[in-house]
Amino acid sequence: MEDVKKFIESGILELYVLGDVSPAERQQVDAMIQQHPAVKAELEEIEKALESYALENAVQPSQKQRTKILNSLVINLADDRVFTKKETVTEPTVITMRPPGSSNFYKYAFAASLALLVGSVVAIYNLNSKLQQTTQQLVAANLQTQRFTKTVNYMNDQLGVFRDTSYKILHLKGTKNLPNGSLLVAWNPAKKKVMIDLKSLNMPVNDKDHQYQLWALVGGKPVDLGVFDKIANDSTDMKQMKSVALAQAFAVTREPRGGSVNPTMSEMMIIGQF
Amino acid sequence: MSRKKLTLSEEELVLALRNREKIAIEALYDMYSASLFGVICRIVIDEATAEDILQETFVKIWHSFSSYSADKGRLFTWMVNIARNLSIDKLRSKDFKNHSKNQELENNVTSIDEQRNTVYKPELMGIKELVQTLKPEQKSILDLVYFKGYTHVEAADELGIPLGTIKTRLRMAIIELRKHFN
Repeated sequence: MEDVKKFIESGILELYVLGDVSPAERQQVDAMIQQHPAVKAELEEIEKALESYALENAVQPSQKQRTKILNSLVINLADDRVFTKKETVTEPTVITMRPPGSSNFYKYAFAASLALLVGSVVAIYNLNSKLQQTTQQLVAANLQTQRFTKTVNYMNDQLGVFRDTSYKILHLKGTKNLPNGSLLVAWNPAKKKVMIDLKSLNMPVNDKDHQYQLWALVGGKPVDLGVFDKIANDSTDMKQMKSVALAQAFAVTREPRGGSVNPTMSEMMIIGQF
Repeated sequence: MSRKKLTLSEEELVLALRNREKIAIEALYDMYSASLFGVICRIVIDEATAEDILQETFVKIWHSFSSYSADKGRLFTWMVNIARNLSIDKLRSKDFKNHSKNQELENNVTSIDEQRNTVYKPELMGIKELVQTLKPEQKSILDLVYFKGYTHVEAADELGIPLGTIKTRLRMAIIELRKHFN
Protein backbone atom coordinates (compact mmCIF):
# COMPACT_ATOMS: atom_id res chain seq x y z
CA MET A 1 0.00 0.00 0.00
CA GLU A 2 2.99 2.20 0.74
CA ASP A 3 4.20 1.64 -2.85
CA VAL A 4 0.84 2.69 -4.26
CA LYS A 5 0.88 5.94 -2.31
CA LYS A 6 4.40 6.70 -3.46
CA PHE A 7 3.46 5.84 -7.03
CA ILE A 8 0.48 8.18 -6.93
CA GLU A 9 2.44 10.99 -5.33
CA SER A 10 5.27 10.73 -7.89
CA GLY A 11 3.05 12.60 -10.36
CA ILE A 12 3.43 9.97 -13.07
CA LEU A 13 -0.34 9.49 -13.33
CA GLU A 14 -0.76 13.15 -14.27
CA LEU A 15 1.88 12.83 -16.98
CA TYR A 16 0.21 9.61 -18.16
CA VAL A 17 -3.11 11.42 -18.60
CA LEU A 18 -1.31 14.25 -20.42
CA GLY A 19 0.27 11.68 -22.77
CA ASP A 20 3.73 12.71 -21.60
CA VAL A 21 5.25 9.35 -20.61
CA SER A 22 7.73 6.98 -22.23
CA PRO A 23 6.46 3.59 -23.53
CA ALA A 24 8.10 1.87 -20.53
CA GLU A 25 6.38 4.23 -18.08
CA ARG A 26 3.11 3.69 -19.91
CA GLN A 27 3.38 -0.09 -19.43
CA GLN A 28 4.18 0.42 -15.76
CA VAL A 29 1.12 2.65 -15.26
CA ASP A 30 -1.09 0.21 -17.21
CA ALA A 31 0.05 -2.59 -14.92
CA MET A 32 -0.57 -0.54 -11.77
CA ILE A 33 -4.09 0.33 -12.94
CA GLN A 34 -4.86 -3.36 -13.44
CA GLN A 35 -3.49 -4.35 -10.03
CA HIS A 36 -4.59 -1.49 -7.77
CA PRO A 37 -8.14 -0.09 -7.77
CA ALA A 38 -6.80 2.89 -5.81
CA VAL A 39 -4.54 3.83 -8.72
CA LYS A 40 -7.44 3.40 -11.14
CA ALA A 41 -9.60 5.66 -8.95
CA GLU A 42 -6.85 8.29 -8.69
CA LEU A 43 -6.36 8.18 -12.44
CA GLU A 44 -10.04 8.73 -13.05
CA GLU A 45 -10.08 11.72 -10.70
CA ILE A 46 -7.21 13.30 -12.63
CA GLU A 47 -8.90 12.60 -15.96
CA LYS A 48 -12.20 14.06 -14.86
CA ALA A 49 -10.50 17.20 -13.56
CA LEU A 50 -8.65 17.76 -16.80
CA GLU A 51 -11.76 16.98 -18.82
CA SER A 52 -13.65 19.63 -16.89
CA TYR A 53 -10.77 22.04 -17.36
CA ALA A 54 -10.93 21.46 -21.11
CA LEU A 55 -14.70 21.94 -21.07
CA GLU A 56 -14.24 25.18 -19.19
CA ASN A 57 -11.78 26.33 -21.86
CA ALA A 58 -13.83 24.98 -24.74
CA VAL A 59 -14.13 26.88 -28.02
CA GLN A 60 -17.29 26.20 -30.02
CA PRO A 61 -16.40 25.47 -33.66
CA SER A 62 -18.67 27.02 -36.29
CA GLN A 63 -21.85 25.25 -37.38
CA LYS A 64 -20.28 24.83 -40.83
CA GLN A 65 -17.61 22.61 -39.28
CA ARG A 66 -20.17 20.28 -37.78
CA THR A 67 -21.78 19.56 -41.14
CA LYS A 68 -18.45 19.29 -42.90
CA ILE A 69 -16.86 16.97 -40.34
CA LEU A 70 -19.87 14.72 -39.88
CA ASN A 71 -20.19 14.42 -43.67
CA SER A 72 -16.52 13.61 -44.04
CA LEU A 73 -16.89 10.81 -41.51
CA VAL A 74 -19.89 9.28 -43.24
CA ILE A 75 -18.90 9.71 -46.92
CA ASN A 76 -15.66 8.73 -48.55
CA LEU A 77 -13.06 9.98 -46.13
CA ALA A 78 -9.95 9.48 -48.19
CA ASP A 79 -10.97 11.93 -50.94
CA ASP A 80 -11.80 14.68 -48.50
CA ARG A 81 -8.58 14.36 -46.63
CA VAL A 82 -6.47 14.45 -49.75
CA PHE A 83 -8.40 17.47 -50.93
CA THR A 84 -7.89 19.49 -47.75
CA LYS A 85 -4.23 18.56 -47.67
CA LYS A 86 -3.74 19.64 -51.25
CA GLU A 87 -5.38 22.93 -50.49
CA THR A 88 -3.02 23.76 -47.66
CA VAL A 89 -0.01 22.68 -49.71
CA THR A 90 -0.71 24.70 -52.86
CA GLU A 91 -1.23 27.93 -51.00
CA PRO A 92 2.25 28.24 -49.57
CA THR A 93 3.93 27.06 -52.78
CA VAL A 94 2.28 29.83 -54.81
CA ILE A 95 3.43 32.44 -52.36
CA THR A 96 6.91 31.13 -51.66
CA MET A 97 7.60 31.26 -55.42
CA ARG A 98 7.68 35.03 -55.25
CA PRO A 99 10.79 35.75 -53.15
CA PRO A 100 13.15 33.68 -55.37
CA GLY A 101 11.77 35.51 -58.45
CA SER A 102 12.41 38.91 -57.02
CA SER A 103 15.79 37.92 -55.63
CA ASN A 104 16.70 36.73 -59.14
CA PHE A 105 15.80 40.13 -60.47
CA TYR A 106 18.20 41.76 -58.02
CA LYS A 107 20.87 39.23 -58.92
CA TYR A 108 20.60 40.13 -62.60
CA ALA A 109 20.30 43.82 -61.84
CA PHE A 110 23.45 43.62 -59.77
CA ALA A 111 25.32 41.74 -62.50
CA ALA A 112 24.14 44.26 -65.10
CA SER A 113 25.24 47.26 -63.08
CA LEU A 114 28.58 45.59 -62.42
CA ALA A 115 29.09 45.07 -66.18
CA LEU A 116 28.06 48.67 -66.80
CA LEU A 117 30.53 49.87 -64.19
CA VAL A 118 33.41 47.90 -65.75
CA GLY A 119 32.44 49.21 -69.20
CA SER A 120 32.35 52.78 -67.94
CA VAL A 121 35.76 52.47 -66.27
CA VAL A 122 37.30 51.16 -69.51
CA ALA A 123 35.69 53.96 -71.53
CA ILE A 124 36.85 56.60 -69.04
CA TYR A 125 40.38 55.20 -69.10
CA ASN A 126 40.48 55.28 -72.91
CA LEU A 127 39.10 58.81 -73.09
CA ASN A 128 41.55 59.96 -70.45
CA SER A 129 44.61 58.61 -72.26
CA LYS A 130 43.38 60.20 -75.51
CA LEU A 131 42.91 63.48 -73.68
CA GLN A 132 46.44 63.32 -72.29
CA GLN A 133 47.83 62.62 -75.77
CA THR A 134 45.94 65.57 -77.18
CA THR A 135 47.13 67.82 -74.37
CA GLN A 136 50.74 66.80 -75.03
CA GLN A 137 50.35 67.52 -78.73
CA LEU A 138 48.82 70.87 -77.93
CA VAL A 139 51.71 71.78 -75.62
CA ALA A 140 54.24 70.75 -78.27
CA ALA A 141 52.40 72.79 -80.90
CA ASN A 142 52.32 75.78 -78.57
CA LEU A 143 56.07 75.53 -77.97
CA GLN A 144 56.68 75.35 -81.69
CA THR A 145 54.46 78.36 -82.28
CA GLN A 146 56.37 80.28 -79.62
CA ARG A 147 59.66 79.35 -81.27
CA PHE A 148 58.38 80.49 -84.63
CA THR A 149 57.06 83.72 -83.17
CA LYS A 150 60.44 84.40 -81.57
CA THR A 151 62.24 83.70 -84.79
CA VAL A 152 59.86 85.84 -86.80
CA ASN A 153 60.19 88.69 -84.29
CA TYR A 154 63.94 88.37 -84.33
CA MET A 155 64.08 88.39 -88.09
CA ASN A 156 61.73 91.33 -88.14
CA ASP A 157 64.18 93.19 -85.90
CA GLN A 158 67.06 92.32 -88.21
CA LEU A 159 65.05 93.35 -91.23
CA GLY A 160 64.19 96.57 -89.43
CA VAL A 161 67.87 97.46 -89.36
CA PHE A 162 67.95 97.66 -93.14
CA ARG A 163 64.59 99.34 -93.41
CA ASP A 164 65.41 101.93 -90.78
CA THR A 165 66.83 104.91 -92.67
CA SER A 166 68.68 106.11 -89.60
CA TYR A 167 71.08 103.13 -90.03
CA LYS A 168 74.07 103.67 -92.20
CA ILE A 169 75.27 100.58 -94.05
CA LEU A 170 79.02 100.30 -94.65
CA HIS A 171 80.61 97.64 -96.78
CA LEU A 172 84.04 96.69 -95.36
CA LYS A 173 86.38 95.37 -98.05
CA GLY A 174 89.49 93.24 -97.98
CA THR A 175 93.00 94.67 -97.56
CA LYS A 176 96.13 93.16 -98.99
CA ASN A 177 96.05 90.63 -96.14
CA LEU A 178 92.64 89.33 -97.26
CA PRO A 179 91.75 90.63 -100.76
CA ASN A 180 88.36 88.76 -100.90
CA GLY A 181 87.28 89.67 -97.38
CA SER A 182 84.04 91.56 -96.82
CA LEU A 183 81.49 92.41 -94.09
CA LEU A 184 78.38 94.57 -93.82
CA VAL A 185 78.27 96.91 -90.82
CA ALA A 186 75.11 98.77 -89.88
CA TRP A 187 75.58 101.80 -87.69
CA ASN A 188 73.00 104.08 -86.18
CA PRO A 189 74.78 107.24 -85.04
CA ALA A 190 71.68 108.55 -83.22
CA LYS A 191 71.23 105.36 -81.18
CA LYS A 192 74.99 104.66 -81.13
CA LYS A 193 74.14 101.13 -82.19
CA VAL A 194 76.50 99.00 -84.26
CA MET A 195 75.42 95.69 -85.84
CA ILE A 196 77.40 93.32 -88.06
CA ASP A 197 75.71 90.99 -90.53
CA LEU A 198 77.37 87.61 -90.04
CA LYS A 199 75.66 86.35 -93.20
CA SER A 200 77.69 88.78 -95.26
CA LEU A 201 80.92 87.94 -93.44
CA ASN A 202 83.44 86.59 -95.88
CA MET A 203 86.55 85.73 -93.87
CA PRO A 204 88.47 82.56 -93.06
CA VAL A 205 87.45 80.58 -89.98
CA ASN A 206 89.54 81.76 -87.04
CA ASP A 207 91.54 79.27 -84.92
CA LYS A 208 90.88 78.82 -81.22
CA ASP A 209 93.75 81.17 -80.24
CA HIS A 210 92.51 84.10 -82.32
CA GLN A 211 89.39 86.16 -82.79
CA TYR A 212 88.42 88.98 -85.10
CA GLN A 213 88.06 92.41 -83.50
CA LEU A 214 85.99 95.31 -84.85
CA TRP A 215 87.33 98.82 -84.55
CA ALA A 216 85.95 102.25 -85.21
CA LEU A 217 88.28 105.09 -86.25
CA VAL A 218 87.23 108.15 -84.35
CA GLY A 219 89.31 111.26 -85.08
CA GLY A 220 92.13 108.99 -86.36
CA LYS A 221 92.17 106.85 -83.21
CA PRO A 222 90.94 103.24 -83.09
CA VAL A 223 88.04 102.46 -80.64
CA ASP A 224 87.35 98.83 -79.64
CA LEU A 225 83.89 97.63 -80.69
CA GLY A 226 84.22 93.99 -79.53
CA VAL A 227 85.28 90.63 -80.87
CA PHE A 228 83.49 88.03 -83.01
CA ASP A 229 84.12 84.61 -84.51
CA LYS A 230 83.79 83.20 -87.98
CA ILE A 231 82.05 79.84 -87.58
CA ALA A 232 82.35 77.14 -90.18
CA ASN A 233 78.63 76.81 -90.90
CA ASP A 234 77.39 80.24 -91.74
CA SER A 235 75.25 82.03 -89.21
CA THR A 236 72.33 84.14 -90.39
CA ASP A 237 72.31 86.24 -87.26
CA MET A 238 73.17 89.88 -86.89
CA LYS A 239 75.41 90.57 -83.95
CA GLN A 240 75.18 93.75 -81.94
CA MET A 241 78.63 95.20 -81.11
CA LYS A 242 79.71 97.90 -78.61
CA SER A 243 78.25 101.36 -79.04
CA VAL A 244 79.90 104.28 -80.76
CA ALA A 245 78.54 107.75 -81.59
CA LEU A 246 81.13 109.01 -84.05
CA ALA A 247 83.14 107.07 -86.62
CA GLN A 248 84.89 107.88 -89.85
CA ALA A 249 85.80 104.33 -90.64
CA PHE A 250 85.40 100.69 -89.46
CA ALA A 251 88.04 98.01 -89.62
CA VAL A 252 88.54 94.40 -88.55
CA THR A 253 91.87 93.02 -87.32
CA ARG A 254 92.91 89.52 -86.26
CA GLU A 255 93.83 89.56 -82.57
CA PRO A 256 94.63 87.02 -79.89
CA ARG A 257 91.43 85.49 -78.35
CA GLY A 258 89.64 88.06 -76.17
CA GLY A 259 90.83 91.01 -78.22
CA SER A 260 93.56 93.64 -77.74
CA VAL A 261 93.59 97.19 -76.41
CA ASN A 262 95.20 98.50 -79.56
CA PRO A 263 94.76 97.02 -83.00
CA THR A 264 97.60 95.05 -84.55
CA MET A 265 97.85 97.01 -87.77
CA SER A 266 99.74 94.25 -89.54
CA GLU A 267 96.77 91.96 -89.01
CA MET A 268 94.15 94.27 -90.53
CA MET A 269 91.84 92.18 -92.68
CA ILE A 270 89.10 94.46 -93.96
CA ILE A 271 88.30 98.15 -93.81
CA GLY A 272 85.65 100.60 -94.99
CA GLN A 273 85.15 104.29 -94.56
CA PHE A 274 82.44 106.84 -95.18
CA MET B 1 -29.20 27.28 -33.33
CA SER B 2 -32.22 25.43 -32.11
CA ARG B 3 -30.79 22.03 -32.97
CA LYS B 4 -30.87 19.80 -29.95
CA LYS B 5 -27.46 18.53 -28.91
CA LEU B 6 -27.11 14.80 -28.66
CA THR B 7 -25.71 13.51 -25.39
CA LEU B 8 -25.11 9.93 -24.30
CA SER B 9 -23.44 8.48 -21.26
CA GLU B 10 -19.81 7.59 -21.84
CA GLU B 11 -20.58 3.85 -21.72
CA GLU B 12 -23.43 4.20 -24.23
CA LEU B 13 -21.29 6.32 -26.52
CA VAL B 14 -18.36 3.90 -26.44
CA LEU B 15 -20.66 1.02 -27.23
CA ALA B 16 -22.33 2.90 -30.10
CA LEU B 17 -18.95 3.86 -31.54
CA ARG B 18 -17.75 0.30 -31.33
CA ASN B 19 -20.88 -0.76 -33.27
CA ARG B 20 -20.14 1.93 -35.89
CA GLU B 21 -23.53 3.57 -35.39
CA LYS B 22 -24.12 6.86 -37.19
CA ILE B 23 -25.75 8.41 -34.17
CA ALA B 24 -22.54 7.82 -32.23
CA ILE B 25 -20.64 10.19 -34.52
CA GLU B 26 -23.15 12.97 -33.96
CA ALA B 27 -23.15 12.47 -30.21
CA LEU B 28 -19.37 12.33 -30.11
CA TYR B 29 -19.13 15.58 -32.01
CA ASP B 30 -21.76 17.39 -29.96
CA MET B 31 -20.30 16.27 -26.66
CA TYR B 32 -16.62 16.82 -27.29
CA SER B 33 -15.93 19.05 -30.34
CA ALA B 34 -15.82 22.29 -28.32
CA SER B 35 -13.49 20.87 -25.66
CA LEU B 36 -11.17 19.40 -28.30
CA PHE B 37 -11.32 22.55 -30.44
CA GLY B 38 -10.36 24.61 -27.38
CA VAL B 39 -7.15 22.60 -26.99
CA ILE B 40 -6.37 22.60 -30.74
CA CYS B 41 -6.96 26.35 -31.07
CA ARG B 42 -4.51 27.13 -28.29
CA ILE B 43 -1.77 25.05 -29.88
CA VAL B 44 -2.05 26.11 -33.54
CA ILE B 45 -3.67 29.58 -33.05
CA ASP B 46 -4.68 29.91 -36.73
CA GLU B 47 -8.41 29.16 -36.83
CA ALA B 48 -8.53 27.66 -40.33
CA THR B 49 -5.72 25.27 -39.45
CA ALA B 50 -7.44 24.41 -36.16
CA GLU B 51 -10.60 23.54 -38.07
CA ASP B 52 -8.62 21.23 -40.35
CA ILE B 53 -7.06 19.53 -37.34
CA LEU B 54 -10.44 19.15 -35.63
CA GLN B 55 -11.63 17.30 -38.72
CA GLU B 56 -8.50 15.13 -38.79
CA THR B 57 -8.99 14.39 -35.10
CA PHE B 58 -12.53 13.08 -35.60
CA VAL B 59 -11.45 11.09 -38.63
CA LYS B 60 -8.69 9.46 -36.59
CA ILE B 61 -10.98 8.80 -33.61
CA TRP B 62 -13.53 7.21 -35.92
CA HIS B 63 -11.02 5.07 -37.77
CA SER B 64 -8.82 3.92 -34.93
CA PHE B 65 -11.51 3.54 -32.33
CA SER B 66 -10.69 -0.15 -31.99
CA SER B 67 -7.42 0.82 -30.32
CA TYR B 68 -9.26 2.62 -27.50
CA SER B 69 -9.50 0.64 -24.29
CA ALA B 70 -11.80 1.84 -21.50
CA ASP B 71 -9.64 -0.06 -19.02
CA LYS B 72 -6.74 2.30 -19.58
CA GLY B 73 -8.63 5.53 -19.16
CA ARG B 74 -11.52 7.75 -20.07
CA LEU B 75 -12.60 8.37 -23.66
CA PHE B 76 -11.85 12.09 -23.53
CA THR B 77 -8.29 11.49 -22.29
CA TRP B 78 -7.66 9.28 -25.32
CA MET B 79 -9.27 11.77 -27.72
CA VAL B 80 -7.58 14.89 -26.38
CA ASN B 81 -4.21 13.19 -26.74
CA ILE B 82 -5.00 12.45 -30.40
CA ALA B 83 -6.01 16.10 -30.93
CA ARG B 84 -2.90 17.37 -29.15
CA ASN B 85 -0.55 15.12 -31.09
CA LEU B 86 -2.09 16.08 -34.45
CA SER B 87 -1.81 19.76 -33.50
CA ILE B 88 1.82 19.46 -32.49
CA ASP B 89 2.64 17.47 -35.63
CA LYS B 90 1.05 20.23 -37.71
CA LEU B 91 2.86 22.94 -35.78
CA ARG B 92 6.21 21.27 -36.39
CA SER B 93 5.56 20.42 -40.07
CA LYS B 94 7.36 22.45 -42.72
CA ASP B 95 4.07 23.22 -44.43
CA PHE B 96 2.69 24.92 -41.40
CA LYS B 97 5.83 26.92 -40.72
CA ASN B 98 5.72 28.30 -44.27
CA HIS B 99 2.02 28.82 -44.00
CA SER B 100 2.24 30.82 -40.80
CA LYS B 101 5.06 32.94 -42.22
CA ASN B 102 2.90 33.79 -45.21
CA GLN B 103 0.06 34.61 -42.91
CA GLU B 104 2.18 37.17 -41.16
CA LEU B 105 3.01 38.84 -44.45
CA GLU B 106 -0.40 38.60 -46.04
CA ASN B 107 -3.05 39.55 -43.59
CA ASN B 108 -1.76 40.32 -40.20
CA VAL B 109 -4.81 42.27 -39.25
CA THR B 110 -7.31 39.54 -40.04
CA SER B 111 -5.29 36.84 -38.37
CA ILE B 112 -4.84 38.93 -35.26
CA ASP B 113 -8.56 39.59 -35.23
CA GLU B 114 -9.18 35.89 -35.58
CA GLN B 115 -6.90 35.18 -32.68
CA ARG B 116 -8.70 37.74 -30.57
CA ASN B 117 -12.04 36.23 -31.44
CA THR B 118 -10.74 32.90 -30.27
CA VAL B 119 -9.37 34.22 -27.03
CA TYR B 120 -12.40 36.28 -26.10
CA LYS B 121 -15.07 33.74 -26.93
CA PRO B 122 -17.85 33.99 -24.35
CA GLU B 123 -17.47 30.28 -23.64
CA LEU B 124 -14.15 31.09 -22.01
CA MET B 125 -15.57 33.49 -19.45
CA GLY B 126 -15.51 30.78 -16.79
CA ILE B 127 -11.72 30.86 -16.86
CA LYS B 128 -11.72 33.92 -14.61
CA GLU B 129 -13.29 31.96 -11.82
CA LEU B 130 -10.65 29.28 -12.17
CA VAL B 131 -7.72 31.64 -12.19
CA GLN B 132 -8.40 32.25 -8.52
CA THR B 133 -8.26 28.55 -7.65
CA LEU B 134 -4.91 28.00 -9.42
CA LYS B 135 -1.75 29.78 -8.36
CA PRO B 136 -0.10 31.58 -11.31
CA GLU B 137 2.89 29.22 -11.32
CA GLN B 138 0.57 26.20 -11.32
CA LYS B 139 -1.57 27.61 -14.12
CA SER B 140 1.40 28.50 -16.34
CA ILE B 141 2.79 24.96 -16.16
CA LEU B 142 -0.57 23.26 -16.62
CA ASP B 143 -1.44 25.45 -19.61
CA LEU B 144 1.95 24.88 -21.24
CA VAL B 145 1.54 21.11 -21.04
CA TYR B 146 -2.20 20.76 -21.48
CA PHE B 147 -3.03 23.58 -23.89
CA LYS B 148 0.27 24.31 -25.60
CA GLY B 149 1.37 20.73 -26.09
CA TYR B 150 4.71 21.04 -24.29
CA THR B 151 6.22 17.96 -22.65
CA HIS B 152 7.05 18.51 -18.99
CA VAL B 153 10.74 18.47 -19.99
CA GLU B 154 10.18 21.25 -22.51
CA ALA B 155 8.14 23.18 -19.95
CA ALA B 156 11.03 22.90 -17.45
CA ASP B 157 13.34 24.30 -20.14
CA GLU B 158 10.94 27.08 -21.10
CA LEU B 159 10.32 28.19 -17.53
CA GLY B 160 13.83 27.49 -16.24
CA ILE B 161 12.53 25.31 -13.41
CA PRO B 162 13.93 21.89 -12.30
CA LEU B 163 12.05 18.82 -13.58
CA GLY B 164 11.07 17.71 -10.07
CA THR B 165 9.50 21.08 -9.33
CA ILE B 166 7.60 20.94 -12.64
CA LYS B 167 6.16 17.53 -11.75
CA THR B 168 5.16 18.67 -8.27
CA ARG B 169 3.52 21.87 -9.47
CA LEU B 170 1.70 20.00 -12.22
CA ARG B 171 0.33 17.55 -9.66
CA MET B 172 -0.64 20.35 -7.28
CA ALA B 173 -2.40 22.20 -10.10
CA ILE B 174 -4.44 19.13 -10.99
CA ILE B 175 -5.28 18.52 -7.34
CA GLU B 176 -6.61 22.10 -7.21
CA LEU B 177 -8.68 21.36 -10.32
CA ARG B 178 -10.04 18.22 -8.69
CA LYS B 179 -11.10 20.20 -5.64
CA HIS B 180 -12.76 22.72 -7.91
CA PHE B 181 -14.56 20.41 -10.32
CA ASN B 182 -15.05 16.94 -8.86
